Amino acid sequence: SSFRLQSDHMQSDASLMTSVRKATSIDETAPKRKHVRSCIIFTWDHHTARPFWTAIKVQPLLANEVQTFKALITIHRVLQEGHKSALVDSQSEKGWLKTCERQYDGESSPKGYSDLIRDYVDYLLDKLSFHAQHPEFNGTFEYKEYISLRQVDDPNEGYETVYDMMNLQDHIDEFQKQLFSNFKRSNKNECRIAALVPLVQESYGIYRFLTSMLRALYSTVDAPETLEPLKHRYKSQHHRLRQFYADCSNLRYLTSLISVPRLPHDPPDLEGDDN
Amino acid sequence: MKAAVRSVKNFSKGYTDTQIKVRNATTNDSWGPSGTAMAEIAELTYDQNEMLEVMDIIDRRLNDKGKNWRHVFKSLSLLEYCLHNGSENVVRWAKDNIYIITTLREFVYVDDNGHDQGQNVRTKAKEITSLLEDEHALKEARGDSRE
Repeated sequence: SSFRLQSDHMQSDASLMTSVRKATSIDETAPKRKHVRSCIIFTWDHHTARPFWTAIKVQPLLANEVQTFKALITIHRVLQEGHKSALVDSQSEKGWLKTCERQYDGESSPKGYSDLIRDYVDYLLDKLSFHAQHPEFNGTFEYKEYISLRQVDDPNEGYETVYDMMNLQDHIDEFQKQLFSNFKRSNKNECRIAALVPLVQESYGIYRFLTSMLRALYSTVDAPETLEPLKHRYKSQHHRLRQFYADCSNLRYLTSLISVPRLPHDPPDLEGDDN
Repeated sequence: MKAAVRSVKNFSKGYTDTQIKVRNATTNDSWGPSGTAMAEIAELTYDQNEMLEVMDIIDRRLNDKGKNWRHVFKSLSLLEYCLHNGSENVVRWAKDNIYIITTLREFVYVDDNGHDQGQNVRTKAKEITSLLEDEHALKEARGDSRE
């Protein structure tokens, strides 16, 4: 970003530290978007996420379940929306995530986040592994046609990518169910719902990719029956995703922030020529 | 009164004429910016130096806090106008810095009366993001407006 570099409004490491501290405050609310946004912008301005991780690690977060959970949401958002270096720089921070998991290994915590923290860490580790394996994807799996076409030059590689993405999609599905079943009656659940937002975006990105890649695979392989297992799994994921989005549509707080996708009742045709 | 404070600030902070024009077009007042003000600013972007000053103020305003959501909303409106009518450099700037805009798609601000003022910003940020990601729409928007 040549123009922006000339200007003096780039954040310093000190103001990044403040943003991280505020994003992970002790209040049981969503991490404030403006602070999360500052963290994301920092990675774009400086093309690195290392200072972000330093800021995360110097905060005394782990003693408080709400702060830990908010840190995980913030990390997830930076992985998704940050500069691509965030995905690379975070590979070496798996140790911190595991520490976080160990911290909440015992019985349930007063506010009920300990299970969710373990599930969230599990998911983020899985996501990081996927990105290490498939560096061509960005953090939200935004649709880029050329990737699906390139993969199909080598159907084996395409098959493997689809398979790995489906595993990640299943993991999102498990985690969102955990989040919903962990809702508290006496609570606005804003902090829990805040974790659903990146999951909706990520699952939809994956869904769109899978749809176009499977179509591309069907149009190139000679023996379409080899794709049956993938098609079967795709269909089942379609129905579960549709249900997930329907559940999300009932959460006013969530629908005011992002538009939740609506999937058709039946999964789209993968083999038709009219695609 | 507010206007008087603003003009003192413009003077004391040493803003240039161009910067003052952009600041005035993106105030917290509930009206504006006017078509003439936006047209004048878009015209200025054809000069490389003026363009940088315009974008500098827009950049600052886009990163303003929730309470100043009008700064953010009006800067987005002005940016959109300049994408249609300004120089090619505005398009380049916006593409290089698209993360400034995409990250506003979840902008939140609820005012003291419980009104969600962030909605305007979110919608505008989504519109501009789609425009920047659609080469065809962008060409059409720019071509049509200049005959």
